[in-house]
Amino acid sequence: MIQIPPGAFARPGTSLEFKTGTWRAERPVHQRRAAPCHSACPAGEDAQAYLAKVEMGDMRGAWETVVAANPLPAITGRVCHHPCESACNRAHYDESITIHGVERFLGDEALRQGWSYPVPIPSADAPRMAVVGSGPAGLAAAYHLLRGGCRVTLIEAMPAAGGTVRTAIPHYRLPPDVLEQELDHMLALPGLDFRLRTQLGRDVSLEELRADHEAVFLGPGRRKGREGSADFAVPGNLRTGLQLLEAWVAGGTLPEQPRSVAIVGGGNTAVDLARVLRREGVEQVHLISHQRVPAPGVPADDAMRATYREVSQALEEGVTIHEHRGVRRLILRGERVVGMELVHMKKLEDADGRLRRVAFEGTETVLHVDQVIPAIGQDVDGSGFESLVRRGYMEVEPWWGTVDGQSGIFSGGDARSDHGTVSEAVGDGRRAAAAMLRYRAGKQLEPGAPPEPIPYSDLNLSYFETAPASKEPVLPPEQRLGLEEIEGGLQANAVRHEAHRCLSCGDCLACDNCWTLCPDQSVLKTREVAADGSHYVFDYDFCKGCGICAHECPTGYIRMIPE
Amino acid sequence: MNEQPLHDLDTLRARQPRFRGLESGHRACQGCGEALAARLTTEAAGPDVVVANATGCLEVFTTPWPQSAWRLPWIHSVFGNTAAVAAGMEAALKQQGRATQVLAFAGDGGTFDIGFQALSGMMERGHDVLFVCFDNEAYMNTGVQRSGSTPHAAMTTTSPPGELRMGKRHMKKDILSIIAAHHIPYAATASVAYPSDLRKKVRRAMDTEGASFLQIHSPCPLGWGHDGAKTIEVARLAVQTGLFPVIEMERGELIGTLPIREPRPVSDYLKLQNRFRHLFASEYRARKELEHLQAIANRNIERFELRGVGPETYDTEGADTVHRGGDRWA
Amino acid sequence: MALALEGSQALARTVALCRPQVVAAYPITPQTHIVEGIAKLVADGHLACEMVSVESEHSAASVALGAAAAGSRAYTASASQGILLMAEVLYDISGLRIPLVMTCANRALSGPLNIWNDQQDSMSMRDSGWIQLYCATNQEAVDTTVQAFRIAERCELPVMVCVDGFTLTHTLEPLELPTAEQVDGFLPVYSFRHGLDPADPRSLGTLVGPEHFSEVRHAHHQAMMRAQTEIEQADADWAAVVGRHCGGLVEARGDPEARLGILTLGSVLGTLEDAMDSDPELPRARFIKLRSFRPFPAEALRRACEGLDHLIVLERALSPGAGGIVGPEVQTALIEMEEPPRVHNYAAGLGGRDLSLDLYSRIVQAVFGAERPREFAIIDAEPDLLPESDR
Repeated sequence: MIQIPPGAFARPGTSLEFKTGTWRAERPVHQRRAAPCHSACPAGEDAQAYLAKVEMGDMRGAWETVVAANPLPAITGRVCHHPCESACNRAHYDESITIHGVERFLGDEALRQGWSYPVPIPSADAPRMAVVGSGPAGLAAAYHLLRGGCRVTLIEAMPAAGGTVRTAIPHYRLPPDVLEQELDHMLALPGLDFRLRTQLGRDVSLEELRADHEAVFLGPGRRKGREGSADFAVPGNLRTGLQLLEAWVAGGTLPEQPRSVAIVGGGNTAVDLARVLRREGVEQVHLISHQRVPAPGVPADDAMRATYREVSQALEEGVTIHEHRGVRRLILRGERVVGMELVHMKKLEDADGRLRRVAFEGTETVLHVDQVIPAIGQDVDGSGFESLVRRGYMEVEPWWGTVDGQSGIFSGGDARSDHGTVSEAVGDGRRAAAAMLRYRAGKQLEPGAPPEPIPYSDLNLSYFETAPASKEPVLPPEQRLGLEEIEGGLQANAVRHEAHRCLSCGDCLACDNCWTLCPDQSVLKTREVAADGSHYVFDYDFCKGCGICAHECPTGYIRMIPE
Repeated sequence: MNEQPLHDLDTLRARQPRFRGLESGHRACQGCGEALAARLTTEAAGPDVVVANATGCLEVFTTPWPQSAWRLPWIHSVFGNTAAVAAGMEAALKQQGRATQVLAFAGDGGTFDIGFQALSGMMERGHDVLFVCFDNEAYMNTGVQRSGSTPHAAMTTTSPPGELRMGKRHMKKDILSIIAAHHIPYAATASVAYPSDLRKKVRRAMDTEGASFLQIHSPCPLGWGHDGAKTIEVARLAVQTGLFPVIEMERGELIGTLPIREPRPVSDYLKLQNRFRHLFASEYRARKELEHLQAIANRNIERFELRGVGPETYDTEGADTVHRGGDRWA
Repeated sequence: MALALEGSQALARTVALCRPQVVAAYPITPQTHIVEGIAKLVADGHLACEMVSVESEHSAASVALGAAAAGSRAYTASASQGILLMAEVLYDISGLRIPLVMTCANRALSGPLNIWNDQQDSMSMRDSGWIQLYCATNQEAVDTTVQAFRIAERCELPVMVCVDGFTLTHTLEPLELPTAEQVDGFLPVYSFRHGLDPADPRSLGTLVGPEHFSEVRHAHHQAMMRAQTEIEQADADWAAVVGRHCGGLVEARGDPEARLGILTLGSVLGTLEDAMDSDPELPRARFIKLRSFRPFPAEALRRACEGLDHLIVLERALSPGAGGIVGPEVQTALIEMEEPPRVHNYAAGLGGRDLSLDLYSRIVQAVFGAERPREFAIIDAEPDLLPESDR
């Protein structure tokens, strides 16, 4: 029994007998939530996670975090249109984190340092998987199958790996030595049987691949340039944009030297070609697009598919862009094209809610040019799997890449009608590889979707200071004459600066805020990482559920949930 | 989430890399600013201290016999004599030749009002005592009655708004100026929204020989009528509007301020609190009092030059900037 | 060796011999000479002590409280309004069971303002939980002060040593001061079991709810009752050192055969003794010197009153609207006697009114004379000075 001492003094810390946790109506919990950069990354990279590693000085760990999703960061760090940066919460505060600069730095650093991919050596009896096409989708699929412990047969029809990345991306965007180094690095992985000049349908049949492998990934890309469309007739001798671009990338020259050119299309091929033509001395380069120049605020379905950065640089370099314009007809003088009739048009919702292009009568204009180049897209070359191609595309389930009615066959990348970037292809390959592993294990494929991003309003910005983003050096337009890379990348200190700027959306910063601000001493700090991945533990015996920790968590990592 | 922690919480608690002057299990309301202020103060000050504590919430919620949340020697005597009790402890320790430091804790009532005479005497005699005022701007322990620290126009149970009144008629007492007039070596204000600054000031005061004074703005969710989760936000806005200037004085001279980069309108602060709800009515006298409070904030900003000059790394935006890995406590 | 010293000076030197480490005081007549004397001893280096000259009696008591709680022997002195201003702190000191010693230089309370001697001030603190010891002479004040520190520290209770203002504090009397060796031998080094210590950090002054408060009060009451033994022991032990005693709890003097008793507190005793001695015609009386008013020594008092037919309780304070303060308590205590004396309760000498030698005959007259006053009376009041309606 308790005895009352003289004057009723009390012993230190005896309040621990009184469990104030019973007062609680809500409890704080740690809940890692996806940063918007992570949700927005088509390849599935968790930029927040690797920025955290960079900030802690662990560059190699950061790279390993990148390649947990994407084996080709030196390439994507250069060519990706970085939707991560558009999604970045910091854009609401001052400027987005220059994520692509960090990704590129890590990719380059891995090549420079010779860091090896964290991929196991497969056992002799490892399951065998087949991948067709060594473009970004096929490479990503092969890589993730290797990570999953498989042996992979990768076939490529061309004499070199890389697909579109090799054939259609100008060197000023992606220097060839970077491309070669990163591809070589990845293709040297143990367990990978890489066969060049091996074409499906000609050298090996799909049935043979299926017979020898547990599952097959088809990443054929879209290599067959479209020569026309319903909008206008194209003379038979015209070249497509992709053909010209590939010719230039491969040989560095163009067959003709017109004075003025109109390119029809708004994708990356069209924009790349426009810029190549400027470099080749074509005075007037016109780009005709149904859509608008992509810019912040322009809805995705009304924006040209080419990336904002490429379009901006094209404009800087003197390319003229005709937005919301369609081609009515070509104006021919004999066999020779001398111009085209354009009309203003826009996509509008019709009565059934479908988007439909509408041309506005009375807005026609004539554009005089020496040459017209259609760059309106490409189709899948379905040699060897003709039955799987419909209207020029592979029809696949968007998340896992399963092909309808084809057990054990998966696909993704440009072969899909809705994907056309390197990063999307990497993501497709990654998810398809996961699907193939599950397929082999006999597991169901649950419907998948990108993680829900944490909104800006769930962060507490009181704990950050404004700081300008690091900008990489960019060649001024007048110096962009040759193949020299335009963007110079970030230096190590700038990379660290960007990592420091990262708001760490949805992830524990280990900033001590909850520990510092709990009036009830109910947040305990741990030396090692706690079970939930943070450095703090809630002592629910005493936590009264006031919610200060959640409200003041800078990153939105703490949430209050009802008891 | 909600996984069982790997840790034995008792062991973990004992291993916390900070002094736990105020332990869990105290009975402060959810989101109590005063509890936080006291926790931060004792962490920075302890453990070789003795504390005299005035009557008030802090005393009541920490020591319902047989329990005490304190882990430092602590005494509560009566409401108005805290500074004198502290002075007596200081005299005793000095005579005993011990280095133990003396703290006095009081609310605004025990500082501005009933405890003021003893405080003034203690400072005049120059006792080596740090007097900490946890300023929550009313008599909270007795049910939110107005004090000399209650801001102008605030509603309390003894300054209710009505047909003839718009809350407290009088101004908040400028206690720091009065303290400064004692020419003590160190006097400062701080806020629970800026814990690093607060801790630094506690240490600085402790290192100062002679009487020192720290007034800590400590929101009271119950008395001010705001969500307990927003205690820090409310405190931060008090600073960022200029209504609670965070300043430092040596021998009565202003030596430092926590500058405000972009002052916020006072309504941002006031609208979070029920005690100012009547100021948001659509009548002339409400608008007038709102402007009155804005003018008081403007005057504070002007008087203490809170806008700052030149590139300040230390201001309300950056004063408690977090970074990966914490180390606020390093 | 006998010295001729003003009471206050004697007290100052005695306090210094007790080696308090902290003295806190606020000046009030007639206490001033005591603290001035201590201040001078400190200033001259004769006493190693923090002399804290506070801004109010409230703070004086509080500083002493803080000092004692922090492990130092502490002392304060006050009087009159000062005691009242201390009131809430005095209750707190005793309730927290903090040992310290205070001299009360007894003085009347306002209003109207009166700075002269009576005992209304200490009587107003009757229920404060302090031990109250009343001194009849300056020699007793000296010896009681030394004893008070030991009693306080052993009982963990504060002691108020009540010394009549002016009558004692400002009066030159021959007296003996103890030597430092005597005091050091009698008083151990100060210690307080439940003091404030970072090595064992207790919380003092907790909030005690209805479920425990009665027990805390019970313990306080019991401690006060037990203090009777300590008071007697301290007096006996000190007598063994210096050869003087102060009368323990209560002392019977004068004519042991007398059937008339007169009970007093403080210095009035000397006046009455002188009066009786000066006139052999006057009836003889037994003088009951109540030294310890709190704790109230009911048992010792009954022994002292054995054989009396009448007991006059002569007070220097009153409770307006009721009468005496000490008288009813004495009466209650004596009821348990087989043949209790008849108790007569008077007040006299309020606000410093001169207690002349004829006081003795007046109170005897009051009891045995033809015109016996009402049960309680201010015996030396002159109602003729008042309007008819106030007499």
